[in-house]
Amino acid sequence: MNYEVVNRDICVGSIRVIGVSSSSLLMVGDTNSIQLTSLFDTPPASLIIGPFVPLAPQG
Amino acid sequence: MLKRTSKVDSLKLDSAGIASVIQIGDSKGINSFTRTIAVQREKELFFSNEGNFNVYGIFSYPLPIPPIDEPLTIQSTSLNSFIKVGSIDVLAISAASILHIGSSEHIQSEARTLQIRHLEPREKSNRNDALGGG
Repeated sequence: MNYEVVNRDICVGSIRVIGVSSSSLLMVGDTNSIQLTSLFDTPPASLIIGPFVPLAPQG
Repeated sequence: MLKRTSKVDSLKLDSAGIASVIQIGDSKGINSFTRTIAVQREKELFFSNEGNFNVYGIFSYPLPIPPIDEPLTIQSTSLNSFIKVGSIDVLAISAASILHIGSSEHIQSEARTLQIRHLEPREKSNRNDALGGG
């Protein structure tokens, strides 16, 4: 595949952002490749109803 | 690829945390990674040494990244060698996020979060109250 890009003038007045989170990117510039991944899991098993015992400690 | 020059007049960032990167200037490669176990308990209770990433599948789950097997030819032309931005105002960046002013080659970032909600056992009398009994 041949992919041709022509970058013309770009001039931005102001950028206002509240938050950039969980493997996100705010970039002013050029790059060859970007690879951003984010996994979020809250399975049914993660809703625990029971006495407050600690989770398994680090091994 | 001819890279352009980024021109930013002012940058305001209030907070940066948890494996986040602020890069001003060109870079070759950025790689950031974070993993989180977010525990929300009904009672305010914190144990300092708990949590084992190996126990939960999300932290070892392989990423389903499709392979790029197609031959790709990129030709880019920049008619203006500047990217101009007046001002950037960001409240916060967090969890393996990146704020980059300037050019790069390869940017890679990965964040994995497991959320656990931990509630107290419900008493029978509470249920009666909720039903309007008592």
